[in-house]
Amino acid sequence: MAGTVLLEKLGKPGVFINCDTFDEDAKSAASDNAMPGVRHCTISSADFYKLRGNVETVRPLVEGVFDDIIDALTTPLTPEEAKPPKVEGDEDGPHEITVTAESYPDATEEFNEIYLNNRWGDGLPLLPPTPERVKWMLSGTSRSPQEVIGKINPKQGVATIEKIAINAVMAGAKPEYMPVIIAVMEALADDSFDDLHVLASAGSFNLLIVVTGPIAQELKMEAGIGFMGHGWRSNNTIGRAVRLATLNIGRLWPAKNDMALIGRISPHTFHTITENAALSQWEPYHTTRGFKAGDSCVTVASIHGSSPLQHFYGGMIGTWTAEGILDNLVNDLIRSDRWGFTRGLSGGWGSKGVGKYPGSGGGAMKHFVILFPELVAEFKKMGYDQKSLQDEIYRRASIPYDDLDEAERKNIQTGMELGVVPADRKAVFEAGMKSGGMVPVLISPEDLHLFVAGGAPGCAFSYDYYRVPPYTQTAILTKLITGATLTKAGAT
Amino acid sequence: MSENTVKLELLNPRGVVEAKQTLALTPRVTDLTGKRVGLYWNSKPGMDNFYTVFDELLKKKYPTATTSLLRGAFLIRDEDAEAWLPQIDTFVYGVGD
Repeated sequence: MAGTVLLEKLGKPGVFINCDTFDEDAKSAASDNAMPGVRHCTISSADFYKLRGNVETVRPLVEGVFDDIIDALTTPLTPEEAKPPKVEGDEDGPHEITVTAESYPDATEEFNEIYLNNRWGDGLPLLPPTPERVKWMLSGTSRSPQEVIGKINPKQGVATIEKIAINAVMAGAKPEYMPVIIAVMEALADDSFDDLHVLASAGSFNLLIVVTGPIAQELKMEAGIGFMGHGWRSNNTIGRAVRLATLNIGRLWPAKNDMALIGRISPHTFHTITENAALSQWEPYHTTRGFKAGDSCVTVASIHGSSPLQHFYGGMIGTWTAEGILDNLVNDLIRSDRWGFTRGLSGGWGSKGVGKYPGSGGGAMKHFVILFPELVAEFKKMGYDQKSLQDEIYRRASIPYDDLDEAERKNIQTGMELGVVPADRKAVFEAGMKSGGMVPVLISPEDLHLFVAGGAPGCAFSYDYYRVPPYTQTAILTKLITGATLTKAGAT
Repeated sequence: MSENTVKLELLNPRGVVEAKQTLALTPRVTDLTGKRVGLYWNSKPGMDNFYTVFDELLKKKYPTATTSLLRGAFLIRDEDAEAWLPQIDTFVYGVGD
């Protein structure tokens, strides 16, 4: 929709075509882009997706909508289209809501009904956000309730500290979690981050939230066996508070403007994890992102949540060695990322991509690799820290130039010319792209993000995602946790 | 209200969406005779077939109309838009899923 609005703003009249499944989403997006009157023609999803495969099968569908398209292009504007009214701001309901009932259980049931019917809930029971509980939640941060941390997609709702606290109460969080929840929301509000794609796309992309530094231990975040699962109040309710804040501050809703066809895995809490700092023999992950070891940080990352995880084994699954797991990881990278040289929706490395930035939405990938503590201890014995292991994996995940086929060579070369391979990485590929050379399947060692999590025994696995997201600059962002009043860490 | 009635005062969790000035549409072309119609294909599979039929029907109804097919990103790039604009009078943008 944004493309149609751009062309209209540049003075060309047009029409947007969408399938009926996306009708409400299209109207919503037109409004989000400040042009609610965009003319659009709707075609049947059931027909288009089945019939689009060739010209003859799709013909009846086009014949059926042809006159509507012509009308949309030629019928003069209505007065309202020519001079649309200003859209008033709103809070989507009264600032305070009163519920009365004969008993507390009845009142909480009534409150849950109202909030879910308003699309203010996530389908699980909510705790009542009374002014007293919100004040209690705000005791966890030194920041002003009125402070605006930014706007949340897709509706650009204003995220204040108070609104975040209201959602945190509803999620069942504790006040000491507030600084972490605020930091995640700061990342989502950052224009450079890929929030819209992972929260609203028809694909089941998802959000990985990684809390690192001493605050995680103070909050008793679980990093051992079952660390991605249920039963851990801090992990689970930090994630749930963020989920509720995206629904309420960003005004997101399934099948309306969150179009994930099968939903998103772990929808109520996202994937909220922490490093196993107690057992890790490495510096915290955030030191690789430019922060100090003693800092507490949150990293948000876009992931292909519905894709199978890549497993590299370990733990009790079978006998393992660090070298064997390293081989698994490298072989998996070569197999999966070589595919991206020439394929994928965006057309591989030789395509500008699907968005504004070269290589966006396909081609080269980045990987979030979760390693278990025993494995990291072995890597440390082998002399690897995060940086040197990144470099080693990058070096090994290379393909002899002489083994590449013509299409692969052409696409990599085109990618170097288009800027898919950034200027600071060109020398590596220029050296590799000749007979006898080695061509990495990743663009940079920094496209490997290595976290230490899990217990003993553990297992190693990873998520992946586009190196450059479809619409924005980055699919990974780290924020410093600040303003904590109830923990020693995060108080700066 | 009976003395056993429970009353919950609750706060609204929704973020405020600020007032904004909305944008007008561009005036339409009055007729497609002799017009250059841009067909933007956001690379989702099958829209090329759709546009092939659309092009046939358009030229049957408006023999002097011409089309310009542009395949690109989901969101048209600024540089593509700048290069394409002088070549078209009106446009169709599809498919938005």
